[in-house]
Amino acid sequence: MLTRFISDQNLPDFMQKLRKFGGIEGPLRGEDGGVRFGNLSDGTTPDIHAIRTLLPAKKYLFAPEERLFNYTLQEGYKILLEDISPVTLFALHPCELAGINYLDRLLGGDAPDPHYAARRSQITLIGISCLPDEFCSCHISPSPLQALSDIFMNIVEGGFVVTVYSSRGKEIMEDMKDLAEERELPVPQDARRFFGVSLPLNVMSEIDTGLPEWQKLADRCLGCGACSLCCPTCACFNILEFAGLDGVSSERIRYWDNCLFKSHSMVAGGAVFNKGRAERFIYRYRHKQRGFGPLRGVPSCVGCGRCRAFCPIGLDLRVLTELLERSAV
Amino acid sequence: MNNIQPLRGEISIITRMTADTTLFTLSTKPEYEVASSFLPGQFLELSLPGVGEIPVSYCGFPSNNGTIELCIRHIGHVTNAIKSSAKGDYVGLRGPFGRGFPIDTYGGMDMLLVAGGLGIAPIRSLLLNLLFVRKRYGRIRVVYAARASRLLLFLDELLDFKKNGIIELLLAVDSLAVGEKKNPDCRIALLPALFEEMKIEPEKTFTAVCGPSVVYPRIITSLQNLGVSDDRIHISLERRMKCGIGRCGHCAIGEYLCCLDGPVFSVAELSGVEGGIA
Ligand SMILES: Cc1cc2nc3c(=O)[nH]c(=O)nc-3n(C[C@H](O)[C@H](O)[C@H](O)COP(=O)(O)OP(=O)(O)OC[C@H]3O[C@@H](n4cnc5c(N)ncnc54)[C@H](O)[C@@H]3O)c2cc1C
Ligand code: SF4
Ligand code: SF4
Ligand code: FES
Repeated sequence: MLTRFISDQNLPDFMQKLRKFGGIEGPLRGEDGGVRFGNLSDGTTPDIHAIRTLLPAKKYLFAPEERLFNYTLQEGYKILLEDISPVTLFALHPCELAGINYLDRLLGGDAPDPHYAARRSQITLIGISCLPDEFCSCHISPSPLQALSDIFMNIVEGGFVVTVYSSRGKEIMEDMKDLAEERELPVPQDARRFFGVSLPLNVMSEIDTGLPEWQKLADRCLGCGACSLCCPTCACFNILEFAGLDGVSSERIRYWDNCLFKSHSMVAGGAVFNKGRAERFIYRYRHKQRGFGPLRGVPSCVGCGRCRAFCPIGLDLRVLTELLERSAV
Repeated sequence: MNNIQPLRGEISIITRMTADTTLFTLSTKPEYEVASSFLPGQFLELSLPGVGEIPVSYCGFPSNNGTIELCIRHIGHVTNAIKSSAKGDYVGLRGPFGRGFPIDTYGGMDMLLVAGGLGIAPIRSLLLNLLFVRKRYGRIRVVYAARASRLLLFLDELLDFKKNGIIELLLAVDSLAVGEKKNPDCRIALLPALFEEMKIEPEKTFTAVCGPSVVYPRIITSLQNLGVSDDRIHISLERRMKCGIGRCGHCAIGEYLCCLDGPVFSVAELSGVEGGIA
């Protein structure tokens, strides 16, 4: 495969030139030590070695809150599509890319969600290789390995081996000729260079959720919803409508919802189909492994490790694996 | 089919059925006539401007003049607000959505339709479809229960069908109101009691059920005791349906999405599915 090489010294210039193609967003370490995706358009240097951002890049494609329609007497419901300017998402890990690929299947496709499609069409993806830590479980999911991006940068000694995967990526790299020399370089097989603590392949998919160990783990869940909020492939939404002050017009808004909340399955009259916190915890993990509806059978955990890393009480399915291993002995 | 954008429907007739239930006849012309061709058991997403959007079952028969009937119980934010709508008012429509009753497989069969409370809405739609080509089917029995006599919806219509000999009708109410005379057509019993003395030929019977989810386990057991196999018990499930098109994630039942894979399921399809039948 034809590759290019960008040296560490040339990275700032590369970023500078990238600005020509629109805004740039990438991982930034805040004063609190947390890493978040933020604006790099002013030349801020991204933290390309950061392991995980608090929120995944899904916020750029599937907005936390979005106006969908407005209603007026004259025109009825009319779709609201903001003018969205082009943006490059920079330094996305393979799991992050896999998450976006999954959202593309969920909200894109033949009859795409128009608001998602509008954002997505303006987005360029630049991936980067990474060094998984003990929270990551990308090695049990094939999706990060197959993840699609426009451009992918493998971190090597002294710089980056750059591969191009789309016409948009090609267009960008054409422009970088002076910064990125063409070189025949070996592309590392696996963008994830290190596999963290290994989990057995069947960790979530084949575990019988009726096991008392599962129940014990699930019983500890607080139902705070952090694990779903920070998951790159959790995309449940709720929709509400708000009347305008004129008493005639209105706006319909969609916002992120969360299956860890009791309200998620509540219907009028108060019936709830996923009653207990433990039930909802198990439901989430099962969904991540098995999928539902048109994506039944498609696992959506991309192994980013956020749910484990950010759970306030450190709920981690690996505890379960250990328990099971111990009980098997 | 329109999936995303609510299109215009207009309220053309308002019929108050009980203190908390109203039958709305809507005209889908000229903007959205597609919404008037559907299968019984399918649903629409109905928008009330400024208030919100809710899933509602079709309750009538597909018309050729573009009208549809929706029977709505006023119990919450949107359903209460629509109570004060007037003739000529705008509503938004999306649909039809979901998998309805598989009427094609019902040809030549005896039909046992079971409704509890507001569950009569989609069951009535199914019944009207069956009666449209009455001779395609064997016996048609309707079993229908509500909390009180005044809450039995479409009662006159059902009694008419019974009088004309085109259906058999078994009615029940939980209790009589103070001073209320007992109606000879209606038992005072809970729904499952209506199956106790029933004789059916299970190998030539299909059943279609819609009612509050709490009564499903008992109804299903009753039908199984009559010898009906699980693949012939078709039930309609209610879930929180925000989008109707398999995206919002609210209506998941195990690995099904109720809005796409349902709302009508066979009991066989739901066996072993957690959170399926309460
Ligand atoms: C397939 C299907 C068919 C239905 N058919 C009928 C029918 O023919 N007649 C009828 O009267 N009712 C029907 N319902 C129930 C009806 O959708 C609820 O009564 C209605 O959503 C309640 O909304 P509300 O705002 O009045 O109630 P509230 O209790 O105020 O609800 C608050 C909010 O929760 C949401 N919500 C509550 N229940 C549901 C739900 N089931 N789905 C989505 N959102 C919900 C609504 O968005 C609402 O804004 C059906 C439901 C389903 C799933
Ligand atoms: S389930 Fe957890 S590890 Fe898997 S993708 Fe979601 S947040 Fe990451
Ligand atoms: S983050 Fe932890 S405590 Fe919070 S809902 Fe998820 S598993 Fe439960
Ligand atoms: S109603 Fe949204 S997924 Fe079924």
